[in-house]
Amino acid sequence: MIEKATITIDGKKIQARYGQTVLQAAREHGIYIPVLCDHPALPPEGACRICLVEIERQRTLQPACTFPVSEGLVIHTHSPKVMEARKFSLELLISDHPLDCMTCEATGNCLLQDLAYEYGITGDRYQGEKHSYAIDASNPFIVVDRNKCILCRRCVRACTYINGVEAISVFYRGFNAYIGFGADSTMQDSPCEFCGSCVEVCPTGALWPKMTLGKGRPYQLQKVQTVCTYCGVGCQIELQVRNNHIVNVVGVENAPVNQGFTCVKGRFGNDFVHHADRLTKPRVRKYLLEGGKRAGKERGEWIEVDWDTALEIVSRKLIETRNTYGSDAVGLLTSAKCTNEENYLMNKLARQIIGTNNIDHCARLCHSSTVAGLAISFGSGAMSNSIEDVTQQAKVFFVIGSNTTEQHPVIGMKIRQAVRQRDAILIVADPRQIPLVDFATLHLQHKPGTDIALLNGLMYLILKNGWEDKDFIAERTEGFEEFKAVVEQYPPEVVSEITGVPQELLHEAAQIMGTHKPMAVIWAMGITQHTTGVYNVMSLANLQMLLGNMGIPGGGVNPLRGQNNVQGACDMGGLPNVYPAYQPVTSEEAAKKFSEAWGAPMSTKVGMTVTEMIPAAKEGKIKALYIMAEDPMMSDPDTNHVRECLEACEFVVLQDIFYTETAPYADVLLPGVSFAEKSGTFTNTERRIQLVRQALQPLEGARPDWQILCEVANRILASPENGRKVDNQAPYAHWDYRQPSEIMDEINALAPSYAGVKYERLQRGETFQWPVKDEHHVGTPILHVGKFARGLGKFAAIEHIPAAELPDEAYPMILSTGRVLYHWHGGELSRRSQGLLEIYPKPLIEVHPEDAERLGLNGQRRVRVTSRRGSIVAEAWITDRVLPGMVYANFHFPEASANVLTHAALDPIAKIPEYKVCAVKVEAVE
Amino acid sequence: MSETFEDQTFDLAPLLEILEGYKDQKGAVIPILQRTQEVYGYLPKPILKEISKRMRIPLSRIQGVATFYAQFHLKRRGRHLIRVCDGTACHVKGAMKTVDVIHEQLETPPGGSSPDYKYTLEIVYCLGSCGLAPVVVVDEKVYGQTEPDKLVRQLKRLD
Ligand code: SF4
Ligand code: SF4
Ligand code: SF4
Ligand code: FES
Ligand code: FES
Repeated sequence: MIEKATITIDGKKIQARYGQTVLQAAREHGIYIPVLCDHPALPPEGACRICLVEIERQRTLQPACTFPVSEGLVIHTHSPKVMEARKFSLELLISDHPLDCMTCEATGNCLLQDLAYEYGITGDRYQGEKHSYAIDASNPFIVVDRNKCILCRRCVRACTYINGVEAISVFYRGFNAYIGFGADSTMQDSPCEFCGSCVEVCPTGALWPKMTLGKGRPYQLQKVQTVCTYCGVGCQIELQVRNNHIVNVVGVENAPVNQGFTCVKGRFGNDFVHHADRLTKPRVRKYLLEGGKRAGKERGEWIEVDWDTALEIVSRKLIETRNTYGSDAVGLLTSAKCTNEENYLMNKLARQIIGTNNIDHCARLCHSSTVAGLAISFGSGAMSNSIEDVTQQAKVFFVIGSNTTEQHPVIGMKIRQAVRQRDAILIVADPRQIPLVDFATLHLQHKPGTDIALLNGLMYLILKNGWEDKDFIAERTEGFEEFKAVVEQYPPEVVSEITGVPQELLHEAAQIMGTHKPMAVIWAMGITQHTTGVYNVMSLANLQMLLGNMGIPGGGVNPLRGQNNVQGACDMGGLPNVYPAYQPVTSEEAAKKFSEAWGAPMSTKVGMTVTEMIPAAKEGKIKALYIMAEDPMMSDPDTNHVRECLEACEFVVLQDIFYTETAPYADVLLPGVSFAEKSGTFTNTERRIQLVRQALQPLEGARPDWQILCEVANRILASPENGRKVDNQAPYAHWDYRQPSEIMDEINALAPSYAGVKYERLQRGETFQWPVKDEHHVGTPILHVGKFARGLGKFAAIEHIPAAELPDEAYPMILSTGRVLYHWHGGELSRRSQGLLEIYPKPLIEVHPEDAERLGLNGQRRVRVTSRRGSIVAEAWITDRVLPGMVYANFHFPEASANVLTHAALDPIAKIPEYKVCAVKVEAVE
Repeated sequence: MSETFEDQTFDLAPLLEILEGYKDQKGAVIPILQRTQEVYGYLPKPILKEISKRMRIPLSRIQGVATFYAQFHLKRRGRHLIRVCDGTACHVKGAMKTVDVIHEQLETPPGGSSPDYKYTLEIVYCLGSCGLAPVVVVDEKVYGQTEPDKLVRQLKRLD
């Protein structure tokens, strides 16, 4: 129980709590006390003395922002003495402040200006010495104007307590003090990550987003709250719009995930929406207009056409293909970038209109092994806990195969906060020296592809020391004895040999895990993108069951989903084996449900995955591909092979916002719109469904993806050629949606875990995590509480299996692949954001200094990396982020994409490719 | 082990030895900087970066501390510290003349060092010996009623 204290503010008695400051208590009761340095999201600083109040029986005025509440305080917030003191502080501040509010960007959004207005400060009382600092505008995102800085240290605290990198500090003191970065460098040369948290909290115009300069006053902007499209964290952002242009982006303060803060992409990376490359007209190949056939793999010239022509061709060709070769000759790639509603429609298009289960998407390439592995172990394949409980309550974080601060930056920030502020223990297992290692107690730098051995080794030690949760194992799991028999084969000597991790570290890690509860496991592609991806995931499930960390806050299995709506695309049936909400296509019951709902017979045959569909195109089994906002030429393994397959495919429709790397292999291009131009919902990595609100009119000529899909479906349904009967009396046979909320109504009816996800609720500001059982249910923050989805949790006995392609004499090094902070996915969006491209303009290949020396790179920066499948040339970044014998490349840039080198060795269960390990050779290039 | 930064090579061995002693005390920024300055004479930027990297202390925090306290020097200093007083009394008696002469004849600008790092020149404000104005303190020794040329001759004689 927190003790209450009765205090009196301006004659009003209020109930405050011990531990609060006077300011916090006043705020809570709607009593206004002005502040400059205090910010609700930051610890108090007491630097500016604007919040001074008169407290009876105190000799001097006291800062409300640091003064603790206690019983019986009597406080005056606006007494004459207080007003005089505030005026004095303001006069002093303004005496060293440029009085150029007329042209200052912050006008209308500046606390200093507001207070000067409130207290009638004109700036002519003191004529003190003024600073004249050079403005630092050397980075692409943030302008630093120290002349406007009032040294409130909000930015310093934001960088320390919110982001955690502490790139800013105050240098020197007294009149000479100023805010500086790193070792007094420019912002760009400091450890700054450009998250913009400092900009978010700066009360003046000292830190300002560059993209906003001259674009409008805060009060001239229209503000729309929506969800970031750059990753699965699902931060809520506010787009500020003027003349149908996004001129500024800020975080949404009360957002459940990000509380007002974002990473660099969410805040500064949205200008791709307005890039000149945007497609505005449908295009078709000339042969299609002439009714002729394509000459082999040559697709011929593009012709811009109107929407009717393009849509007519698409529906005619899809009907033709199905009539001639059968439904299963058509494949559909849905999109983890699009909304739930659009993914639902894509699933309906495949299953109702075309009659195939050949639908899949990028999730195959990132977390299909997670979904499959967790389904086997627990019966549900999603992140079990919430970002909030994990980051606030875990005593230990075990981060394995997740470069969290670069890939899921806002979650990365929260892990850093937990380590810094509440001494949570962080164990990182990663072959690379990822940035998070700086915050870790232990770094287990295991060789790529040895995760199972590592985990078995840790579990061996946990068992040996009796640290397992015996009650949990007895009550909630099965298969323990077989599992134990296998784990017993992994003593530290053996594991250290396989993984390269020193034995002492194994002991230390096992001890931390065994003696601290709860521990949250967090992973991403480093675990999943292996031929043993499913087994890796099941090993993590074993670990969490062994320690009894399931179904409790601060614990759980926490796969971080990559794309903004990859969770939703899976939930909506964008997979070859399940309908929406994971109802299996093989189940007669589910087939009956959907054929009654949609008025057409359902196939009970599991469809092809993307990694099967693309090769099937070359073999002639897939004749037509409908691709919505995916870029297999960048994202899929072994680019050269993908190219051959797409070339061979008879008919390829591509719906996207840019002319992507895949576009040259398409026959029809349909211009869709970005997230800012449509509405719908995204589901983030923690199963949270959030509203995407339209902020812009669609770019002229482009159309929202859901409308395009409706057009195609309706044309097929109306065509006399259509050989597939659909009973239009069935309750959900139709495609006449006027707005996305009507699609959601249909989802509510057919997908049980989304039953209560109502637009009215979302619009009211509710957001919830599925399952949401009905209109009154508040959602499910933690899965598997008390009972696993499948009943008992299943321990699996899993042996280490080496990666499919290991280094040999010809290809002596290991290549691992992934992403970097400033880019995303195949780079289609981030390369079209001016700032993101400027700060990370070209592909870099990470090479360890020892290898650099051995390869004779000395000074020579360009390297050629060759695998059995292809070869790329790029600049080397010589860094100890990687292990010796290993190189790391990203897939953001078509001129040197890692996927030219990777191979399509698949996990036998999930069919996910082994992006994380392949053998390469590396040479210096002149 | 040594590393070259911006045309200057630093021997890192003594630094590593210092840091070893503070391995488990990340909060010990001030003592680390003091010991480092004792060894290197000042706090070169590359050394600060090295401390930041090895101790995992944010660079900006180190820089903040190093600039806050007057005891720390961020620039390389000469073997002899010349402090010329330009307080009111000394100013009136022509302190700035001394500064100019030192600048010219010893190639040592105010706030800087001579190219051979023999001298560093600082201007201070009142050394509390106004009766002796103009006052110059060289290392620990006080020179009163100085004449610029004579002072320079004395300074040249230092090794
Ligand atoms: S942008 Fe983010 S990382 Fe950079 S200084 Fe500001 S708060 Fe720190
Ligand atoms: S830059 Fe802004 S937030 Fe930082 S100290 Fe100056 S005024 Fe405060
Ligand atoms: S962490 Fe992800 S969702 Fe949040 S702002 Fe960054 S890219 Fe967007
Ligand atoms: S707001 Fe309290 S001192 Fe600044
Ligand atoms: S003014 Fe120079 S010693 Fe006082």
